[in-house]
Amino acid sequence: MIEALAFYIFSSIAVAAAFMVISARNPVHSVLFLILTFFNVAGMFVILGAEFLAMILVVVYVGAVAVLFMFVVMMLDINFVELRQGFLNYLPIGSLIGLVMLIELATLFGSWVVTPVIANRGLMPTPSPDITTNTHALGNIVYTHYVYLFQAAGMILLVAMIGAIVLTHRNRPGVKKQDIGRQLNRNPANSVEIRKVEIGKGI
Amino acid sequence: MLEITISHYLTVAAILFTLGIVGIFLNRKNVIIILMSVELMLLAVNLNLVAFSSHLNDLVGQVFAMFILTVAAAEAAVGLAILVVFFRNRGSIAVEDVNMMKG
Amino acid sequence: MPFENLPDLVPVLPEIFLALVIMSLLMFGVFQRGGRAETDVNTFRVISWMAVVTLIVTPLLVLSLAGSTLIGFGGLFISDPFSVFCKILVLIGSAGSLVMARNFLEEHDMARFEYPVLVVFATLGMLMMISANDLISLYMGLEMQSLSLYVIAAFRRDDTRSTEAGLKYFVLGAVASGMFLYGASLIYGFAGTTNFTILEQVLQRDTQDEYGQSLGIIFGIVFILSALAFKVSAVPFHMWTPDVYEGAPTPVTALFAIAPKIAALALFMRVMVGPFGDLISEWRQIIIFISVGSMLLGALAAINQRNIKRMMAYSSISHVGFALMGLAVGHDSGIRAILVYLTIYLFMNIGTFACILAMRRGGVMVEAIDELAGLGKTHPLMAAAMTVFMFSMAGIPPLAGFFGKLYIFLSVIQAELYLLAVIGVLTSVVGSFYYLRVIRLMYFEDPDEPLDRPVSREISLIATLAGLVTVLFFLYPDFLVLSAATASSALFLN
Repeated sequence: MIEALAFYIFSSIAVAAAFMVISARNPVHSVLFLILTFFNVAGMFVILGAEFLAMILVVVYVGAVAVLFMFVVMMLDINFVELRQGFLNYLPIGSLIGLVMLIELATLFGSWVVTPVIANRGLMPTPSPDITTNTHALGNIVYTHYVYLFQAAGMILLVAMIGAIVLTHRNRPGVKKQDIGRQLNRNPANSVEIRKVEIGKGI
Repeated sequence: MLEITISHYLTVAAILFTLGIVGIFLNRKNVIIILMSVELMLLAVNLNLVAFSSHLNDLVGQVFAMFILTVAAAEAAVGLAILVVFFRNRGSIAVEDVNMMKG
Repeated sequence: MPFENLPDLVPVLPEIFLALVIMSLLMFGVFQRGGRAETDVNTFRVISWMAVVTLIVTPLLVLSLAGSTLIGFGGLFISDPFSVFCKILVLIGSAGSLVMARNFLEEHDMARFEYPVLVVFATLGMLMMISANDLISLYMGLEMQSLSLYVIAAFRRDDTRSTEAGLKYFVLGAVASGMFLYGASLIYGFAGTTNFTILEQVLQRDTQDEYGQSLGIIFGIVFILSALAFKVSAVPFHMWTPDVYEGAPTPVTALFAIAPKIAALALFMRVMVGPFGDLISEWRQIIIFISVGSMLLGALAAINQRNIKRMMAYSSISHVGFALMGLAVGHDSGIRAILVYLTIYLFMNIGTFACILAMRRGGVMVEAIDELAGLGKTHPLMAAAMTVFMFSMAGIPPLAGFFGKLYIFLSVIQAELYLLAVIGVLTSVVGSFYYLRVIRLMYFEDPDEPLDRPVSREISLIATLAGLVTVLFFLYPDFLVLSAATASSALFLN
């Protein structure tokens, strides 16, 4: 009963917020609705027993990705009214495509049943929550069975880092920043000058 | 109605995925919204995977979802970086009004 | 024993080697950075050559794994003769495009050491794609390749066309990834596994039992097919290709046209023939549709192009159409024909892009096809090389391109797909029109202003090598055909 209530609350808010993401006039609102969607889907993850993913979703998405989006929206000085043009032109075709896809997918999911054959095919059975936590169980396989993917994910993040830096970083002349090497190399001989100042005259 | 089956979750995921696709169609000029729509699509995929994982009693789906989350974050970073350099060059983020290249 | 649980690292040796090289090159580059333009160019040059050497050494490592099927990391990774064959092609393609890129990058103020690093990164991603034996490892490889390529496409960051190419490629690529993932999630949910080996068994059993195949699997395959069609730029997901090929810097276009295409087609073959092999009756129609569409569009749309990079984009679309024809056959001989075709495609395209990179006037790249007018008088050697490549792409015997098409047609006819073969021959004839137009321009038009001479040494070397392979292929085709046969039969072991 409580599960059903929670599911309906989370899912209806998630869907409504997702709808607002694509139809809001102001992209800042879109980002905020995106955050709301993520929060509610994280709630559904918790109901499904995937607590670790729910927390990761909040930390990574709400904490990092959505903020990144917000940053870019704020940083770029964009005339958003102009960008809205054409929204209505695409509305009929867009919603038609969406409707067709949705009906197809809905008929599809009517057909899903857990046959006993499928249920036992899994490689990594989920341990019962009484024995170990979800996080522990995931950790157990991610660092052993899936270590290849774990390393690959690290390399992908490295690609993203290199890419973002190489595209956007610019060496601007005249920007003051700390150069520790230069600081350490300074010595009194070439940076301090002592002069005898005669009384009544300047230097 | 009160008993929540996996079909409920899959339907929510399908709606989210469809909204993502429709969002790409509707906001063809605004690349930022397109990127957000892509995030919605990936979110729908994650919901799908977690629902299947929970009902198959199999952790692989959750591992898959975890890697998708990681990669999607990397993808968002690269996408926004490209968007920023594009904006610096053109002073606009509209993809469609660019007529420098014609087929 | 502390090492009891250590995974078997031998099958992954080439990938580990590449990953280590990437990180060392990156460290080297970061600590060399002096902030002065001169040192930056020197660093770039050093790292670029080291990356090329790496890409040439890695095939030796790959070859050391030839001849056996090894599975690593609990079924996530597979190394078999098929993957060895495709990996060597991809490595040659990447190395070739990197060699050609050096001069261009230095002259266009793009000589930053990240470029070779990102190219090696993309290559690593391609190797992971080719060796994937699980939907998750497939996705990771695909993303590593795509993310590097998005950045490389926008690498000329002060140029509007380059950044626009990067943005278009990124947006459509991200949508394709989303489609792929949705399909993968359906496959996971309806089959209960993501591992290709288990998936194959499961689907085989499902096809045989009374209920038949569930609808979810079919939906999943359709989603995955459309994402893969995007990655190989086949109709109807080809829209990005001409724009990205034209907008990206030319050496990047050369890379795009060669290595990722081979990797994505290898992936296509492994996924379709492996886990979904028993469902061929379901996906054959789609492949035939994609293949016919690509061949038609590639042949017809290229005719009106003025820009040679755009023309090459349509040419690559039609080549993909031809290769997919072999996939529609679905068994051993079709896959073998594709592998032969891809090898020849690799050499023809490297050579053509070497010639395109040599098209410069007054130190500036020119891209219009008309600029080639009179090349036969002003640059007889380059014109000869270009003629060889164009004739070969048009499929005129005895050049290599003819044999590539011949093997595909033979396998299609063997599989009794006569209509497909007829369409293939017709589009091939129509397509040869625009290749021959280039040749006519070079020999029968008057030159306006000659292109720059001399052509840089690396580019002429690559054009010569590729030209020799293309011309002399008919003398000794057995080696390639036999290795392709070994490679393709590895996909049909069980």
